[in-house]
Amino acid sequence: MTTAPNVRPASASAAAASAEISDIDLVARGSLSLQIISGLLWLVISGAFALVNLIQAQMPAFLAECPVFTYGRTHAMAETAFIYGWAANAGFAVALWLLGRLGGNPLRSLNWVTIGTIFWNLAVLGGVIGIAFGEGTSITFLQMPRAVQPLLLVAFGAIAIPGLIAWIGRRQQATFASQWYVIAAFFLFPWLFSAAQVALLWTPVRGVLQAITAGWFVQGAWTLWLAPLALAPAYYLVPKITGRLIPNYDFAPVSFWTLVVIGGWTGGRHLVGGPVPAWIASVAVVSSVLLLFHYLVVALNLRGAFSKPSVALKFVGLGLIAYVLGGILDAVTAFRSVAVTTQFTWFTQAQTQLAWYGAFSMMIFGAIYFLTPRLVNQAWPSSPLLRAHFAASVIGTVTLVGALAVAGLTQGRDLADPKISFVEIAADTRVWLEVAAAGQALLLIGNAVLAFHFIRLTIAKVFAPAVPAAALFRQPPSMEASAT
Amino acid sequence: MRNGFLFFLGLFAALTFSWAGIVLWSNQQLGTLTPYFDKDQEQAFPGRIPGVAAQGQLVYQDLGCAACHTQQVRRPSFGSDKARGWGDRQSVARDYVQQVHVQLGESRLGPDLVNLGARKPAYDEVDLYKLLYAGTPTMPAFPFLFEQKSVAGREPSDAALNFGGRLSPPRGIEIVPTERARALVAYLLSLNNPYEYPEARPVEPATKEGEAK
Repeated sequence: MTTAPNVRPASASAAAASAEISDIDLVARGSLSLQIISGLLWLVISGAFALVNLIQAQMPAFLAECPVFTYGRTHAMAETAFIYGWAANAGFAVALWLLGRLGGNPLRSLNWVTIGTIFWNLAVLGGVIGIAFGEGTSITFLQMPRAVQPLLLVAFGAIAIPGLIAWIGRRQQATFASQWYVIAAFFLFPWLFSAAQVALLWTPVRGVLQAITAGWFVQGAWTLWLAPLALAPAYYLVPKITGRLIPNYDFAPVSFWTLVVIGGWTGGRHLVGGPVPAWIASVAVVSSVLLLFHYLVVALNLRGAFSKPSVALKFVGLGLIAYVLGGILDAVTAFRSVAVTTQFTWFTQAQTQLAWYGAFSMMIFGAIYFLTPRLVNQAWPSSPLLRAHFAASVIGTVTLVGALAVAGLTQGRDLADPKISFVEIAADTRVWLEVAAAGQALLLIGNAVLAFHFIRLTIAKVFAPAVPAAALFRQPPSMEASAT
Repeated sequence: MRNGFLFFLGLFAALTFSWAGIVLWSNQQLGTLTPYFDKDQEQAFPGRIPGVAAQGQLVYQDLGCAACHTQQVRRPSFGSDKARGWGDRQSVARDYVQQVHVQLGESRLGPDLVNLGARKPAYDEVDLYKLLYAGTPTMPAFPFLFEQKSVAGREPSDAALNFGGRLSPPRGIEIVPTERARALVAYLLSLNNPYEYPEARPVEPATKEGEAK
């Protein structure tokens, strides 16, 4: 039914070098670099807002005089900058690169990507400014003012064109797991996004149906858009770098369809005990548990990520741990007996950050570390910076997620006791929120390092003489996919 | 997966299936929900939201109040919502049918607000203005919702607030809530759902209820 990337024996190292740096990568240099750099800048901006937000959670007076930075607005801006700034830009760049490589032809019509990316970023910028000045909608994942949201859809249409061409014109009929995930993300995102816009912004459904629809969209945006965008490079990099076939690959299609079919049903887990029909939360429990099959298969398929000391694989491995752990936590907290404590607390924030920073960002970082040298035909200039980013990412994510989880459990325990006031709850969780803020600060520094490193690499390319490609890569040429 | 067309069809069907199941099905169930007309009181519940409160809901939305406050009470046996005085019964879908933009909220850094207007002891406008003006150790102040005006050469405004103590303005200055503050406070005080709808009645297991009475 499907095949792993074609592994072919090497004939000569010169041939390997030319295979490693092929037209497929080089033509895409400008557009994809633009996407990645804008994504990284948004990531840094998002981290700064998230840090301000966490500080405000302990010190409500922090920046309170400034209407632009109310707690609710910094929260919304951090979320928007992360999802539509970082995750979308970087995810699309990696996805397009994968479609080009696996399609076996250089990407075409890349001007559409450049134009689409410029408009996408203008829309996100307008959206964040709109939130700052009180035009936000207060709907999770749709926080931006109504006016800019259709622009995002149009811009996405432009960005997706080369990907679609690469998919249709692929050299092999048979497809690989990375392609399924990318195509699913590309195809389902506009479907989800436009349906949510219509039902929540343009002709809002009545009453609590808004909360139900928003839950469907938020969960769908994760399971059908962001998670596939992150899994696609993981499925590509692990066999590619380790040089081994994916174990238990036969289960991968079932796992993929489990995610796509079941994933959309898990949104009700945030509505446990809420003013909605009880079946919505029950369906979420059942589907969250069924989805564990998907996480199990992904863990089995990608376990090779821990077998080689490659930077890209280290990030993918971390992301894999976070992804699977996040899936298990989602299933556990969907149960009513657990939700009664964790609902409405920092624990849900911990799960969100585990998914965003732990799973999504790590896998995409891995892909960026792998693909950028190939795009610009130049190795990463500084290994200390690389190690600094890795250390900051690991320590920062663990600290942030761990501290938020403990804060959440403390808060949940305190909330259950009506005698404990909010002032006391704040005192109990304060120290953990301080730790979480430290973790967030570390992530911010690490991500700023990566942004700097990336800019340095792309700028160095402009000024430095080209290095022979063969000198850059020490991997055995047999690991190159059939790219020539 | 060689057949691209089937693949796309599968993707499309999968998402349509969840959309139909979750959004359309619950719309079928709740989309036609109307306010409940009480024949004895000759009144429909929930009532319409007054205009100024509807404006206040927009202020609530643009400041992002929902980042810390929920607007949903869970049933008495599920969490401490009732014990904390947030409401005697669980919130039901009918409570929200008059609201243009429902904000159930996802986080409780502060108290639930769905019955703020029915708290005992009751809040009045000045209490809420004071909360918004000065903040608390766990809630930020929103000083930009108030204006400080000079009273030189004129009578103080009727709307001037006198919080007393440390919060008193300097001599010759008065603190006046802006339009947005007034709308927000009107909205917060309008949050009040005491009516027991038929579907909201079985709040506790029957035996327990009997004992309580």
